[in-house]
Amino acid sequence: MKRVFASGGSAARKLTGINGSKRALRKALVLTLVLGILMGSLTSFAAAAPMESKNGITQISQLDGKNIGVQTGVLYEDEIKDEIEGETWLYYKMPNDMIPALESGRIDAYLIEEVGFYAQRYEHPELMRLEEKAGESQFAVIVGNNSKQDTLFPQIQEFIAEGLESGWLSELYDYWVKNWDPNTCVIRNVPETTGENGTVIIAIEGGYEPFSFEAGGYYSGYDVEFMMNFCAKYGYSWDFQAMEFDSIAPGAISGKYDFGMNIVVDEERAEASVLSDPYYTCDLVFVVEGEYEGDMGFFERMAYNFNKTFIKDDRWKLFAEGIGRTMLITVASVAFGTALGFAAYLACRHGNKAANAIVGFINWLVEGIPTVVFLMLLFFVVFASTPLSGTVISIIGFSLIFGCGMYGMLKVGFGAIHRGQFEASTALGYSDNQSFFKILLPQAAQHFLPIYKSNVISLLKETSVVGYVAVRDLTKMGDLVRSRTYIAFFALIAVAIMYLVLEALLTAIISRVQLSVDPKRRSKDKILEGITEVE
Amino acid sequence: MIEVRHLRKEYEDVTPLQDVNITINDGDVIAVIGPSGTGKSTLLRCINMLETPTSGEIVVDGQVINDGKTDLNEVRKKMGMVFQSFNLFGHLTVIENIMNPQITLLGRGRQEAYEKAMDLLWKVGLGAKALHYPDELSGGQQQRVAIARTLAMDPEIILFDEPTSALDPSMIGEVQSVIRTIAKTGTTMMIVTHEMDFARKIANRVIFMDGGEVYEEGTPKEIFERPKKDKTRRFIQRLSTLSYRIEGTDFDFGVVVDELQAYAEKLLIENERTSKLQIALEEIVVNNLFEMEDPNIYASIDYSEKSDVLSLDLKYKGEHFDPKTSDNVLFNSILAEKTTTLTDEILEDSPKWYNNHTNISLRWEDAQ
Repeated sequence: MKRVFASGGSAARKLTGINGSKRALRKALVLTLVLGILMGSLTSFAAAAPMESKNGITQISQLDGKNIGVQTGVLYEDEIKDEIEGETWLYYKMPNDMIPALESGRIDAYLIEEVGFYAQRYEHPELMRLEEKAGESQFAVIVGNNSKQDTLFPQIQEFIAEGLESGWLSELYDYWVKNWDPNTCVIRNVPETTGENGTVIIAIEGGYEPFSFEAGGYYSGYDVEFMMNFCAKYGYSWDFQAMEFDSIAPGAISGKYDFGMNIVVDEERAEASVLSDPYYTCDLVFVVEGEYEGDMGFFERMAYNFNKTFIKDDRWKLFAEGIGRTMLITVASVAFGTALGFAAYLACRHGNKAANAIVGFINWLVEGIPTVVFLMLLFFVVFASTPLSGTVISIIGFSLIFGCGMYGMLKVGFGAIHRGQFEASTALGYSDNQSFFKILLPQAAQHFLPIYKSNVISLLKETSVVGYVAVRDLTKMGDLVRSRTYIAFFALIAVAIMYLVLEALLTAIISRVQLSVDPKRRSKDKILEGITEVE
Repeated sequence: MIEVRHLRKEYEDVTPLQDVNITINDGDVIAVIGPSGTGKSTLLRCINMLETPTSGEIVVDGQVINDGKTDLNEVRKKMGMVFQSFNLFGHLTVIENIMNPQITLLGRGRQEAYEKAMDLLWKVGLGAKALHYPDELSGGQQQRVAIARTLAMDPEIILFDEPTSALDPSMIGEVQSVIRTIAKTGTTMMIVTHEMDFARKIANRVIFMDGGEVYEEGTPKEIFERPKKDKTRRFIQRLSTLSYRIEGTDFDFGVVVDELQAYAEKLLIENERTSKLQIALEEIVVNNLFEMEDPNIYASIDYSEKSDVLSLDLKYKGEHFDPKTSDNVLFNSILAEKTTTLTDEILEDSPKWYNNHTNISLRWEDAQ
């Protein structure tokens, strides 16, 4: 967490209050324009048939010493590593992030399952695969380590075995994968379930076509249809939760989820967790950039990108939901964190040894652990067995983080007040609480509010990691849309602009509060309220 | 009204109050004086319990207040305190500094508190500054507001902790005159101060503190004009001393000369007087007293800043030497000057068995 310390100059601070928020808004507007133009130029490519590989790579043997991208946690590289020499593997969180990496030359090729390639090529016709296959991979369902495991494991095994035997699974694969068309593929009929055996929580990537993705406010895809049918057959209700791919397996192992989808089968993983038999198998291929020619103008491309990012499937609703979620977590954490910080400071300010030891320990713990790690610890370990949602756990986590910052701010703020202020009020007969709230706090507030403001902004930005604990905040929504549209820049820049606007908004609100509690800005009428002046 | 009994205050490394006993009666104006670090401020801060005494009792109106059971906030409402650093509330205007404590602590209405505050502000001469903030006022003005804030609470006693020490010399007067006006109204006061003249003029009792104890106590006349005890006298006269015990003749006079130079430099004594003293010392001690068998001399060089007198005081054993019989021309001319006073006597029953006493005092100007 970023820490800023108080400095003097209250007069200067008063001025930056109003101007600061206006400036932030203006900045956001200018940025929108500049980035908009940039975004258009960066994304103005077009659809045409690939001619040949742009960098001349056509065979796996040509990849020696090259940079190769692969998705984090899928372990595809283990299949082919031995056949290439001197290569560097670069890891990406989302498969679609490898496309801009390839096009910018950061990587020379990337390794992906055939399925993903076909889905990507629909939007990016310039992509081409090497003919040789790099291996194949089997995918299984991970069964959560919780009390339901003993029931669910045999059921999923039975379901997969029957599906393979009856040919239903290969029919499902043909529909979603081999004949994939993002414009037409939908879950053909949502099966009815009695739900008599309770709800199963299913962890999916949520931004991974054609397996799981957002479509018009619902999740769709191969994994989703597969699990709906499972649930219907065994009398469960389903609850799909989207999260970062690398959170799926740990979440299931901690027992947080009952099932995790699309887990690559490998020995190590099979030992550490309970994996089903594979429910599909697919080839792995290397993807390179091919020669192509554009056929869309700048504005045409912009309109196309805008339409795909915001209008199609009502995707703007996702952004709206994300903004709501981000603001909920930020505002709630600021409120609880402020209260927490105050409580801690009040308990500690007279040097109570026990209180200081406890607060010191929590402070050390919270400030020492990286935010993502801290949140994941809360989600997968501390509150793993509770029914608390990711949003609630994020609020708990960020309240603690903000509370620690608040405690530090109060220490600095009150530390800046001369001891004589407390002594004078005590000598007059003010009680401890009276002197704290009537004499010290109004003065300390002017010291810590500027830091408070920047801490709130830091918090807003930090909440962007909540995707790790299955919260659909603004950043995660951007990822979801990005994975659907295959247009990386547009959604990213849109998300950046939305954060800037939110920041300007929060800054303006706090600046207003800061001015309204500044005792030196009161009018004469306010000071002499209810008094008839005498001469 | 207030009794301090066997008060002791210890910190980890120092003990500013050893054993203090004081009785403050209604209407007393007590000035507390003494060298720095002798516990004067600590004593004041213990009386209203800003510092918790280590042992002893503070009794206010017959009630022990440091027993841990007393509601100190109620006691403090009856005791005003004026600090060296003013400590006005920085976020409040002058008028609010005086009004708010009345409203919060005494339950007075806003209008009543306002009228009282304005009345007091005019009395300390700052009615026009009511809507200013403390940091817009000079030190002297801030201290006058602080005094008005204290008076607004109608205290039974006011404790002043070096009220003028943080002020420019030009502002000391305005604050002292305000305090003097309050003293005339019969308000009980206790003032820790370094301003001797102020203490003498305002107090009816003076307490001289030294070493964490009440060393001497009396009326201003007793303390300032006829102090009974040595340390009091030295403090009042602002006396600095350099002393030597000389036994045998293997005595390094060079060291004394060096120390005398440093001493004179520190106290800003003129070179001329310093060399006169040096000549007198050399003539009496080295040239004459060293002629004796086994000389045993106690020499002390004193300078009083207050009366501006530099003196050489010699006590010695054995045969008497009369300085007037000296044949040193230079020394004789010094003795003959109007600004020099010589006393020479033979002691009959000296407690420290020195039987001779010679004192030479050097003034800068003629004695009035």
